[in-house]
Amino acid sequence: MKKKITALVLTLVMLLSVLTACGGGGEKGGSGDVEKIKIYLPTSGKTDDLDKVMEKVNAITREKIGVEVEFKVYQFGQWFQQYALFLSGTEDVDILANYGGYLNAVAQGAAYDLTDLMQQYGQDIIAKEGDYLKSGQVDGHQYAIPIYAGYAWNMGILYRKDVVEELHLEDMVANVKTIDDWGAVLEAVKAGKPEMTPFVTLNGSTAYTFNYGTWDDLGNCYGVLMDGGKTDEVVNLFATDEYKHMCEVMHDWYEKGYSSKDIQTQTDGFVVLTQNDAAFCTLGQTDFNTEFYQTTTCGKPIGTVMLGGGTPVARTYNNVTYTVMSNTKHAEACMKFLNLWFSDKEIGNLISYGIEGEHYVLNEDGLGEYPAGQDASTCGYHLGANISNTNRIIWCTEDPDYARKLDDSNTNAQKSAGLGFAFDPSTVTNEITALDNICTRYRTGLECGSMDPETVLPEFLNALKDAGIDKVIAEKQAQLDKFLGK
Amino acid sequence: MTTAAPAKTAPSRKKKGNSTLAKRLKRCWPFYIMALPAIIYFVINNYIPMSGLILAFEHYTVSGGIFGSEKVGLQNFKFLFTSADSWIMIRNTLLYNLAFIVLGTVIAILTAYFLHELKSNMSRKVYQTVILFPGLLSVIIVSYLANALLAGDTGFINMHILRPLGLESVSFYSEKKWWPFILVFVHFWQMTGTNCILYLANMSAIDPGLYEASSLDGASRWDQLINITVPCLIPTIITMTILQVGKIFNSDFGLFYQVPMNSGAILDVTQTIDTYVYRGLMNTANMGMSAAACFYQSVVGFVLVMITNAITRKISRENAMF
Repeated sequence: MKKKITALVLTLVMLLSVLTACGGGGEKGGSGDVEKIKIYLPTSGKTDDLDKVMEKVNAITREKIGVEVEFKVYQFGQWFQQYALFLSGTEDVDILANYGGYLNAVAQGAAYDLTDLMQQYGQDIIAKEGDYLKSGQVDGHQYAIPIYAGYAWNMGILYRKDVVEELHLEDMVANVKTIDDWGAVLEAVKAGKPEMTPFVTLNGSTAYTFNYGTWDDLGNCYGVLMDGGKTDEVVNLFATDEYKHMCEVMHDWYEKGYSSKDIQTQTDGFVVLTQNDAAFCTLGQTDFNTEFYQTTTCGKPIGTVMLGGGTPVARTYNNVTYTVMSNTKHAEACMKFLNLWFSDKEIGNLISYGIEGEHYVLNEDGLGEYPAGQDASTCGYHLGANISNTNRIIWCTEDPDYARKLDDSNTNAQKSAGLGFAFDPSTVTNEITALDNICTRYRTGLECGSMDPETVLPEFLNALKDAGIDKVIAEKQAQLDKFLGK
Repeated sequence: MTTAAPAKTAPSRKKKGNSTLAKRLKRCWPFYIMALPAIIYFVINNYIPMSGLILAFEHYTVSGGIFGSEKVGLQNFKFLFTSADSWIMIRNTLLYNLAFIVLGTVIAILTAYFLHELKSNMSRKVYQTVILFPGLLSVIIVSYLANALLAGDTGFINMHILRPLGLESVSFYSEKKWWPFILVFVHFWQMTGTNCILYLANMSAIDPGLYEASSLDGASRWDQLINITVPCLIPTIITMTILQVGKIFNSDFGLFYQVPMNSGAILDVTQTIDTYVYRGLMNTANMGMSAAACFYQSVVGFVLVMITNAITRKISRENAMF
C-alpha cells in the first residue's frame, strides 16, 4: 500500500519538475566572445523597424566592444504599470531605464553598484557629465547613469503666445514677475476668450499642480530646501508662507472662474487641452528649451515665464537614468555599452532616429527630419532624443543651438545644496505611506484651488503632523548633513 | 476545488471513520485519476504560489530573491494599523461589503424572480441582456459615464436637471454625503446582471408542481415567492454568502479608485484597504508591504469563512459547505 502512495507522490513530483523545467528554460547567451545584453525602456515613438535598426547597432557594438544588445521598448502607459515588475528582478533584463528617480531601484537592491566599472569603462561619460554624475549616486556609490539633459529648471508659467498677441497683452506679460501678477492676464483672457479655460493643470488630476516648485523637493516633498536649495535647512514645505500664499492665489483663481469648477477631477492635461484650443495657461517646469519643446508637443506657439526670480536651479536628481540590474551576469558589457551609447554619435543617432536615409534625413542646416513623404505616424522608427540626449544630431523641431544652450544652462545654473543628495526612506516607510495618502486627500484640492486654504490648510498640516512628517524631516536633515560632510 | 471535491468526499462519507487514505485509494483509484488534472492544476496554480507569502515577512531585495531576503518579522504589517486612516479604511471596506452582500442578495433574487416570471422567452432574453450589459463595461468607462452625470460644470445632473429647476448646483466630487449612495448604486447597476444568473438558473430547476399545488390552495404570487422560491434557493444563498464573506476585506479596486476620480475631498467615504495600499505604495513599490496587506486580507477572509460555515453547520447541517 505504502509503495503505491510513494509511487503516486513520485509521479506527481516528476510531472511538476517537467513542467517547471519547461518554464525556466531559455539559453544563456554567452556563446563565443560576444556578450548579449537586454535593455528595457519606454517610448512614445515608433518601433516597427526595431529589428532592422538593432542589426546595424549590433554590427558596430560587436566590433567595438564585443557586445550585442537587444532593446525591449514599451509604450509609456504600459511602462509605468510594469516598471515595478521589472524592478522585482524576475524579468530577464540587464539595463533598465528609470523615469522619476532611481532610488526605488537602489532601495530594493535592484541597482548594480557601478562605481568601479565606471572608472574602468565609463571615462567618456565621466568626461561629459562631470559634477552631474552625482545625481546617480547614493552614499558616494554610482548606482545609476543619468542622461545628460537639462538639469537646471524652475517653476514657471506656460501660456499660449498667439492668444497673448491676439489680445495685445504683451506688455502685461512682460511685466509678470510673480504668480500674483498673472491674475490680471487671466482676467483679460477670460474676458477676451470666453470659450477658453484660462488656467488648467499641467497633467490633469493625476499629478499635483505644484510638483515642479521653486524649492528643491529632495526626492519626495516631505522636507524640502526652499529657494532652490540656497540653504541646507530642511523645512516642511506645506507649513511655509510661500506654499500658503500659492494656495491662496489658486483658490482666488478658482473662485473668480479662471479655472474650471471641475479642475479637481479633470483628467486631461495642458497639452491635450491646448491642442483642442481649450486652455490658455498652466504651471509647470520651465527651462531654456521649454518653449521650443512645448510648441512642438502642443502644436501651438507656447511662451513661458520663469518664476522663482527667473533663475534655473539644478536639483537633487535627474528624471531619467539608467541602472544595471543587480542580478545581471553581464555588468561589464552593460557598462561598456552605456559608455559607447552616451559618447558615440553614430550609435546615438541610430538608436534615437534609426537608419539615415530610411528613417531620417539631414536637411541643409544639418538638422534631422523625416524623409520626404513620411511623418511621425508613417515613419517606421523614431524613439526620439530624450532617451539618451548626448552626442546626436539636432532634430528640426528643436532649437538648432540646443547643444550649446544645454551646456550653458548646466554650467551656469544655480546649484542646489542638495544636488546629488539621495534620500534613503527605508527607516520611515510607514510614515511615508501614511503621508502619501494624506497628500492625495488634501494636496490636489489645495493646489488646484478647489479647497479653501483658510480652513483646509490647518487641517492638512495637523494630519501631516499626526502621520509623522517631523520624523521624516529630521531623518532627511540628518542624511543631508551627513552627505554634506557636516 | 469544486471539481475535485465530489470525487474525494463521496466515497469517504459512505464508510465513515475507518477508511484510511490507502484504502480509499485502492477502492476508488479511477476517481482519483479523474480528479488528477484538477488536483495538479490547483497545486501548481494555487498552492505552490502560496510559498510567496513569505514576502510579507521580509524586506525584499532583488539580490536576495523571494526566499533569501532579510526577514523582518511583522514590521511590514505596521503601516496598516498605525496611521489615522486605519480605522476609516477598515470601516469603509466592511460596511460597503456588508451592504453589497445583504442588499446584493435581495436585489439579485428579486431581479431573477421578475425575469423568471416573464412568460415570453424573447422579452426575457432582451431584459437579461440589458441588465447584464453594464457588467461587461470596463470600470474606466463606467467612471467616465458617472463623471458625465456628476461633473460640476458640464455634468448632466447639474446642467439639465438642477439648473433648469432653479436649484443650486451640487459639486459631487467634493461632498462626502453623496458617495455611499453613488458607489452602492454603481455597484448594483454593474453587478446585478451577473449576480442574478445563478439564482435564475436555480429557479428554473424548482419543481413546477409545487407552484401548481400552491395556487390550487389559493396562494398569491407573494406567498409563492416567500414560501416556495426562497426556501428552495437557501443552499445557493448560503454558498454565495460564504464565498462573499471570504472576500469581505477585499474591495472592488476599480469601483473605489476610478469612479470617485481619485478626488481627495471625499476620501473619508471612498478609501478602502485596497486603495490605501495602492496610494501608499504606488510610489515606493515596496513588495513586502504590499504582500503584507494581501496576507492580512486573506487571513481575515479565511477566518470569517470558517466562522460563517461553523454557524451554518450549527443551524442546518446539510447546508454547510464543509
